[in-house]
Amino acid sequence: MQEFEPKIITFLCNWCTYGAADLAGVSRFQYPANMRIIRLPCSGRVSPKMVLSAFRNGADGVWISGCHPGDCHYITGNYYARRKFTLLKEMLEHTGLEPGRIQFSWISSAEGVKFADVARTVISEVKALGPAKGMAKEFIMSQEVA
Amino acid sequence: MADVALKIREIARELLDSEKVDVVIGFKKGTLPVMSEPTIIRKASDTKDLIWDATCRLNLCNYLTGRKDRIGIIAKGCDARNIVGHIVENKIKRDQLVIIGVPCTGMADKKVLSDLAGGEVTAYSEAGDQITVSGPAGEKTVSKADVLQSNCCTCIKRNPVIFDEMAGEPVEELSPDNRFADVEAIASMDAAAKWGYFEELLSGCTRCYACKNACPLCYCPTCFVDESRPQWVGKGTDPIDIRTYHFLRAYHCAGRCTDCGACEAACPMDIKMRAFTRKSIKDCVDNYGWETGMKEGVRPPLDTFKTDDPEAFIR
Amino acid sequence: MSYIRIAKASWDGGLEKARKAYELIGPVPEKDSHKYAVLAAGQLPDMGFKSTKLSPKWVVFPQSEVMFEYTLDESKANHHILQEVPAAPGARAVIGIRPYDAKAIQLTKMNFDNKDYKDPFWLRNYERCTFVGLAINEPSSTDFSTSCGTGPFAEEGLDVLLVDAGDAFIAKVLTDKGKKFLSEAGFAEEAGADAAKAVEDLKAKAEAAITSKVSYNKIAGKTIMDLYDAPFWKDVLFGCINCGTCTYACPTCWCFDIQDEVKGTDGVRVRNWDSCMTGLFTHHASGHNPREHEWERTRQRFMHKLKYFVDKYDAGLMCVGCGRCVEQCPANIDIRTVCNTLNDF
Repeated sequence: MQEFEPKIITFLCNWCTYGAADLAGVSRFQYPANMRIIRLPCSGRVSPKMVLSAFRNGADGVWISGCHPGDCHYITGNYYARRKFTLLKEMLEHTGLEPGRIQFSWISSAEGVKFADVARTVISEVKALGPAKGMAKEFIMSQEVA
Repeated sequence: MADVALKIREIARELLDSEKVDVVIGFKKGTLPVMSEPTIIRKASDTKDLIWDATCRLNLCNYLTGRKDRIGIIAKGCDARNIVGHIVENKIKRDQLVIIGVPCTGMADKKVLSDLAGGEVTAYSEAGDQITVSGPAGEKTVSKADVLQSNCCTCIKRNPVIFDEMAGEPVEELSPDNRFADVEAIASMDAAAKWGYFEELLSGCTRCYACKNACPLCYCPTCFVDESRPQWVGKGTDPIDIRTYHFLRAYHCAGRCTDCGACEAACPMDIKMRAFTRKSIKDCVDNYGWETGMKEGVRPPLDTFKTDDPEAFIR
Repeated sequence: MSYIRIAKASWDGGLEKARKAYELIGPVPEKDSHKYAVLAAGQLPDMGFKSTKLSPKWVVFPQSEVMFEYTLDESKANHHILQEVPAAPGARAVIGIRPYDAKAIQLTKMNFDNKDYKDPFWLRNYERCTFVGLAINEPSSTDFSTSCGTGPFAEEGLDVLLVDAGDAFIAKVLTDKGKKFLSEAGFAEEAGADAAKAVEDLKAKAEAAITSKVSYNKIAGKTIMDLYDAPFWKDVLFGCINCGTCTYACPTCWCFDIQDEVKGTDGVRVRNWDSCMTGLFTHHASGHNPREHEWERTRQRFMHKLKYFVDKYDAGLMCVGCGRCVEQCPANIDIRTVCNTLNDF
């Protein structure tokens, strides 16, 4: 049997963690290719709708990463985001999301090593949880289209 | 509570007579024994229709959104907290309002009443703290405290925080032993059990949206369920779509919900969707020391921050 | 018109036999209430149910119905073709449908099956069905069906009417479809001469128990615009929160919305129940909404049921008096009050 390879939707802020991902790339730091990166202007742009939408469409995990507190390109975007994330993570896990399927980090554009480290950790944790069962919308075709 | 109703009528009549307000929003007697109907009174002579009892479950703040006239409004404890929220969120101006506060001893749960009556309730009356219902199981008299809606059992503010007139003497505030026992009960389950709990909770939902439409917080010009570019949630009764809807609705209320219970009182399928909103109420208390709608002029928790907010979960 | 006696002891066995020829649908407990559902193997309907929150209109008009599907996956033969979903095969028997719900299906039939339009999806669902009704011996206090051209023992739209007569059901055979159902189930015991009398007595008793009434005798004589512009709407409908509870609970509400759902390379076109209570219902692409305010949407619902339908079809109200909307409305908007207000205006 083929080993399970999770799909992880990754929301990165343009100014820090996306830069870190770029740095990890040009520095040739290795990490598995389970991530689908979506670049956003700021971690404050992440809406719970996007996270739910990712799971609803079959993501096995979601990882959100932005600038360290105090370093936000927009001064305070990640401070607001932090509160949103706290309530979001808590409510997701309250309603049955396995801890580990949603992950958060602060990674600056200079932290290519940290990016690769966290990527490996996130991927291995989601992998250990196995496929997200029952969270994606079952798309019911009445029959196999011949 | 008959004396409270009389006082409400008297205040409403005076407000309309003296033209301090254009309308008064309150409750009138419903066509079913356990129901009351939100109503708008324009003439002093109609104030006789106003009532007050434990069937006045809906949150009247819901009817204020965007109004331009001068309004007298009947407000129990939770309604008043929502009015504070409305003022903070610029949905109504304080000087448009004359708030007729009602110290509240809780609302009677429709479902509990019908269980008590053994089916359809054919008669309902209140005398002091006693409620009498009739139905297939005969006539039953109980203490109101035994038939309260569950949100009323953990109420932290029965007396309105904001008012211009009062229609009764202040009542004693509750001090529930463990306000969040329900949230903690869910917290003690493992992930699969939690998932199953909410699956069962939401079964039967028809997506009628009574919960969001009864909620004073739900005033977006276009609700996310109606957005189509992109479409965040399907419109049918797929279980994942139902769950996505309830989750996002509750999340939109995070830090704003007063636990007034209008959503559950409105649900035709008896779905206890406060299991979602209660979680963020607790999180706001635990993380930010926040209670909704207790003070004018304070921004809600998701509209502000502290540099040292908790973040143990962030790598 | 013949009457068959079905001893309750033989009821379950009969249904098991009928199951060979029909997919059975009937009332089953759900949480603290009942709902109509497709009965799984071995599952039997709870014929002692009082009421259901939703009517069985979904049998002919599902809340979500896939109409078409396609794939863009070029490895499949019929890729890039929008294909109609084939009809589900076989006959269905709807056991325990209430007379007012059967009447409601006949009212909606005027919309889905008329000389100008035939809705193939609705019709193919309808034609599969045999309606085995169950008379209401004890109507609820919100039941006003007798003033809406139906009643607790009404027969319109049914193939068989079952009457609970204590230790037996008396089955009144109304159509050939009904006759076929009873013979598939092996119910053949001719009821004695007193069966008709027993049914009549129960019927008279049930009808007498309905005290809730509406009057609409004067509505047809009024002009649409007079009623539309009547001054009372804003205040009568003030409490309405524009949820869709009434429209979903209503057995005669027939509006739908068509949605495309896509995932990856596959997609379906689904028809969902819609509700005139929502702002989106009439929202134009231009941004203009002819029913901008909440009360205008609610007025539409009542004008449709109590005036437009009356004028268009001359078949009475588009309401069967089941009372579900009255019971379930969170704000206690009562169609009986609205109807009487219109009639007296």
